[in-house]
Amino acid sequence: MELEMVKYLSKLAKLSYTDEELEQAVKDMTSIIEIMDTIKDIDVTYDPYKDNHNVYLEDLREDVAQPSLPTDKLLQNAVNQDNCFVVPKVVE
Amino acid sequence: MTEKTVKQLRELLDRKEISAPELTKEYLKRIETVDKSLESFITVTADKALAAAEKAQERINRGETAPLTGIPLAIKDNICTEGVKTTCASRMLENFVPPYNATVMEKLDAQDAVMLGKTSLDEFAMGGSTQTSAFAKTRNPYDISRVPGGSSGGSAAAVGGDLCAASLGSDTGGSIRQPASFCGVTGIKPTYGRVSRYGLVAFASSFDQIGPIARSAEDCGIILNAISGSDPHDGTSSRNAVPDFNEKIGKGMKGVKIAVVKEFFAEGVDDEVRNSVMAAIDTYKAMGAEIVEASMPSLKYAIAAYYLIASAEASSNLSRYDGIKYGHRSDIVGSYNDLIIASRSEGFGDEVKRRILLGNYALSSGYYDAYYGKAMGLRQKIREEYADIFTKCDLIITPTAPTVAYGVNENIDDPKKMYQADFCTVTVNIASLPAISTPCGYDSKGMPIGMSIVGRMWDEASLIAAADAFEKQFSRIPAKL
Repeated sequence: MELEMVKYLSKLAKLSYTDEELEQAVKDMTSIIEIMDTIKDIDVTYDPYKDNHNVYLEDLREDVAQPSLPTDKLLQNAVNQDNCFVVPKVVE
Repeated sequence: MTEKTVKQLRELLDRKEISAPELTKEYLKRIETVDKSLESFITVTADKALAAAEKAQERINRGETAPLTGIPLAIKDNICTEGVKTTCASRMLENFVPPYNATVMEKLDAQDAVMLGKTSLDEFAMGGSTQTSAFAKTRNPYDISRVPGGSSGGSAAAVGGDLCAASLGSDTGGSIRQPASFCGVTGIKPTYGRVSRYGLVAFASSFDQIGPIARSAEDCGIILNAISGSDPHDGTSSRNAVPDFNEKIGKGMKGVKIAVVKEFFAEGVDDEVRNSVMAAIDTYKAMGAEIVEASMPSLKYAIAAYYLIASAEASSNLSRYDGIKYGHRSDIVGSYNDLIIASRSEGFGDEVKRRILLGNYALSSGYYDAYYGKAMGLRQKIREEYADIFTKCDLIITPTAPTVAYGVNENIDDPKKMYQADFCTVTVNIASLPAISTPCGYDSKGMPIGMSIVGRMWDEASLIAAADAFEKQFSRIPAKL
């Protein structure tokens, strides 16, 4: 895997790397992709209609509002103020 | 006392030969003395455990006992426990205290089971050694210079080392079965959908399943009875009726057809492991089972298919960690985007980052069809191959892992080698099937060897019965810690 590809993937993944870490990541990803490339030897296509989804769409609960977690509990793991999550300023 | 099975402890508690608080204290004492070297727990909840044990004893005194009332259990630290830190062994969730319980915890609480604490794992359950844990790099109770396996290494080591009566783990590609095998205990990965995933921190949602690790197949059945069932919080939890998973125990192996799939015994499997599993198959034959040969041609592609799909799902699931709603928040001051990037880069460890990159690669434009699409096609093909094999047999027996537990410093820097070691377990998750691993022998150095019994969807009871039949004639050698 090329350095440019790893940089591109890290941008998609919202991860940053030092130059040294990038070098290691290129090495690791190259080695991992070697295993993944074995899949290229086989000719298969995915048929979504044949898939076993394991999702029970015919059996959904009534669309009625139910109690949810209280705000203080939802905020207990976050930096918060006035019942809101605190984020850096996003508008000029 | 701490080496007894859940079934034995139930009898002792019900006969009042020991009280629930006394039993909990026995385990807490054992944890206190042994876990410094084993490092199976990330958090020990001693006070809560004693309070739960008191409550359990009141229930026992009232004669309203459930199968797990007063039984001390350990819980993998990726299962949400209200008010108790759930770290996923990651800096990202170092201080995360869930505001709710996983459904399995609600079900254990309903029986007044006792939680001793939260056990270590590979970070976000990604690994097979528990050495990527940010907090407790668990060791093997049979030899503390070796790994316990993973990712449920803490849960398996705690059972193998007699630090709990049984535990819960989770299995995405072998994470219950492989550590159970390495630590000489029994673990079952239920059929996908059997146990609610609500409150299990998501890794790969189409594979993840919670299951028990215990000292016997029967104990696994007792716990599976408690945690299974439909859950409105999990749209993938099955509406199928939950049977008594121990109902087939004692019915014998006569006439049961067991398939030996040759590819699982091929190159890469250690001779001692192969011989031990083959000897176990001979034992089943002697019990009256019929052995048939079978083949799974796609097994050689299974590792690629598994890692592509699991990493794709992980990259999506782990995008929720932004440093804002919960989880590690960087001190670096900058834009909204800078905060997210810094929080994620500081919070995640190397292996988690590798999986996220791989998942993004598999899903990215220009590569999607070649990797993710093909992996999903292979998933269907592997399911078809299993369906074909199950037209000829009732059960399949394979080694659980190609080797016994290895040294703590081996394989760690070689992700490729680590991934390839999973080839015995991943197809079960790919095909949503249930499988149980139970000890079938020990190598020349005394390290446990495990075999896996794989069954049809929803047929956990047959796996438990078959594992139980073997266990009844097998002399388990406990770890000497």
